[in-house]
Amino acid sequence: MAAGPYNYSYIFKYIIIGDMGVGKSCLLHQFTEKKFMADCPHTIGVEFGTRIIEVSGQKIKLQIWDTAGQERFRAVTRSYYRGAAGALMVYDITRRSTYNHLSSWLTDARNLTNPNTVIFLIGNKSDLEAQRDVTYEEAKQFADENGLMFLEASAKTGDNVEDAFLETARKIYQNIQDGSLDLNAAESGVQHKPSTGGRPNPLNTDQQPSNEGCRC
Amino acid sequence: MASVAERQPPLQSTRSFENDENSPTILPWDRFSNWLHCVCVVTFDLELGQAMELVYPSHVKLSEKEKMNICYLSFPDSNSGCMGDTLFNYRIRQHTTTFNRKAATLSTRNAYERRGPVTLQGENAYYHGFVYFRQVRDKSSRRGYFQKSVVLITKLPYINLFTHLIDIIAPEYFDNGEPCLEAACHDIDQWSPPFPGATLHLPIMGVVLQVRIPSKHDKPAQSQVIKPILSPGSAPPIVIPSVNEVEVFKCFQPVLPHIQLLWELILTNEPIVVMAPSPTFCSDTVQALVFMMSPLKYTSDYRPYFTIHDSEFKEYTTKTQAPPPVILGVTNPFFAKTLQHWPHIIRIGEMGPVDKSSWKKKKSSNIKTLESKPGVYTRYKPFLNKDKTVLKRLQKGIQNKRPVEVQDAMLKRHFLELTQSFMIPLERYVASLMPLQRNISPWKQPPRLKPFLPEEFIKTLEHSGPQLTSGLTGDWIGLYRRFFKSSNFEAWLRSRQQEVNQKLSILHLDALCDADLMQWIKDKQEVEIVDLILRLRDKLATVCAPDLPTRQERINQLKIHMDHIISSLPDDLQSILKSN
Repeated sequence: MAAGPYNYSYIFKYIIIGDMGVGKSCLLHQFTEKKFMADCPHTIGVEFGTRIIEVSGQKIKLQIWDTAGQERFRAVTRSYYRGAAGALMVYDITRRSTYNHLSSWLTDARNLTNPNTVIFLIGNKSDLEAQRDVTYEEAKQFADENGLMFLEASAKTGDNVEDAFLETARKIYQNIQDGSLDLNAAESGVQHKPSTGGRPNPLNTDQQPSNEGCRC
Repeated sequence: MASVAERQPPLQSTRSFENDENSPTILPWDRFSNWLHCVCVVTFDLELGQAMELVYPSHVKLSEKEKMNICYLSFPDSNSGCMGDTLFNYRIRQHTTTFNRKAATLSTRNAYERRGPVTLQGENAYYHGFVYFRQVRDKSSRRGYFQKSVVLITKLPYINLFTHLIDIIAPEYFDNGEPCLEAACHDIDQWSPPFPGATLHLPIMGVVLQVRIPSKHDKPAQSQVIKPILSPGSAPPIVIPSVNEVEVFKCFQPVLPHIQLLWELILTNEPIVVMAPSPTFCSDTVQALVFMMSPLKYTSDYRPYFTIHDSEFKEYTTKTQAPPPVILGVTNPFFAKTLQHWPHIIRIGEMGPVDKSSWKKKKSSNIKTLESKPGVYTRYKPFLNKDKTVLKRLQKGIQNKRPVEVQDAMLKRHFLELTQSFMIPLERYVASLMPLQRNISPWKQPPRLKPFLPEEFIKTLEHSGPQLTSGLTGDWIGLYRRFFKSSNFEAWLRSRQQEVNQKLSILHLDALCDADLMQWIKDKQEVEIVDLILRLRDKLATVCAPDLPTRQERINQLKIHMDHIISSLPDDLQSILKSN
């Protein structure tokens, strides 16, 4: 059977968090469409993006939840966090206030996700060097102190965007391999497919229901 | 016709919605734009050269480049031989980036594209121009001549219909001026849309044209004979037997023995130049070439009339690259030199009694000067042998003065049979690539058409090749291999794949609608259920595409399925998915 677009063995749930206007939706768009969205509307509630990537020969579908950054939506964001395997925490290197709010975003992330959730810090808008308001060094230090992975990236040029999403996936995959992420625990944010037992997943090609009767 | 202006008061005031009680969403000019983009008048200004005098309706947008192309192409390249009236047509690239069609027109067009034959689809990237050029002595003019063209600009390749139409409109305009154009456009704005399969009555300037719009389901060969439909108390309509068929016999008579060769060149998208003494012969011949392989669609560019002023002149005549796979029709002697490196040149002399010497094939290197004799200049060696029977019959017809219409029908039938003999094995092979219905499962992605493997196809030729339907001998396999490299083949295969995959996608939707998704999600985690919902949304987006004949009830069913799944989720997630 030919491999099709639905042929993947894991689904990872990601969330993107951070202040309003730091470029969360643009990062997502750059990653899924490989294009910069010049005038991006404010995200209302949540938008989903998906892309299938490959890590160590395994096809993984990233299910990315792009959240609204506005304060008034914070209250309903609880369910966003539930079951996230990765969290991309974004600030804008040209606006210090967005950096200053990181600790409160981090507190939310820590409280509302499970201990194994991989948190990746992204300093967006690295193309705007002239307007820089937060140095690389201080952000790097913040990341190290809190055990976060870190990169400066640009949704506009695409610089480092791919890396941030893929590094996160590699880390999650590594956690699965070395056993620190228990797939059987509810809300791990990772779904291994084919799911053991039960019926195969709708639309999924790597399932061959005709074999079901003769599993030997 | 002096009364035209009174008969048709100014346009705006006559247009009202009462004419459109059937579909209240149709606005003035919507119907017009189903048929034409605009009508232009191009004049020769002694100071400026060719100049756009008028564009009607005036709100229609043409880019500067398009205007320039229309201006130059609407006049004969060298007009000394074109005294009196000259009719011809051309094709230009669209150079506008924004092309706004209103929603009403758009849906008409989708329905049209779905039901019409592929060879008659409206063209997205091109316009056709139908020209009526008049050059007469005029003592009042400083140069002593009146030189002006009226042009119809349209996306529809209805060569025959629009040639008739301009032949009706332009003389009236030359005699009575601008109000005639207003009146004509107003008439066209009453026309029903060109719906495939429909027989339409099209009123224009006091007469009625009766046409039938071809449909995908027409049996080729049986060209639809239409009888005038009479309505009591009015003059019988002028029947236009076909909107698009051109007179192939008239065009190919000068090169009759080479028709087989030409058909192969067209089939395989070879670069061809047609050199003719007038824009009329030139455009007619190019149109006949393109028509030759219908019902298969000729997919690369063709220019029934091409001049040195065309904006693609440099691109197409460059010597630094191999000639592009296009057909150019030219009249300017300049091209004899510019295009002498082209592999296939068809030189047409004056129409009329045929000089038999043009029936001999000539080596292309022989063509150097304008004075070269009519004929086909090429080094190409056809894969198939000539169909001597058909040639003999046609030649006999010439001797016996058989009516041209009969000759034309014979030649068309010959081309049709040839194209069909060539295509039937391909169609049969593609049908064998169709996945089985039982492989469509809601739990898998929809199956797709299996890949086309040229070698596998060649293997089928032994027992079900063109020899079943054609007596022609020769290297059919060689011709197929060459065809596989052409854009005609690519486009044909792509359209087959699309058709099949759309069909499969709809069958897959049926399977999903009938599946017990609620049972499936019972033991699944949130991430996986969200994944299912996202994929169902994607599925809905694909099957709701306007060019797909999806049944609305199926779409609704799937939406209900989704609502059920969503309402089985925790409240907070529900509100997210509903707001999204």
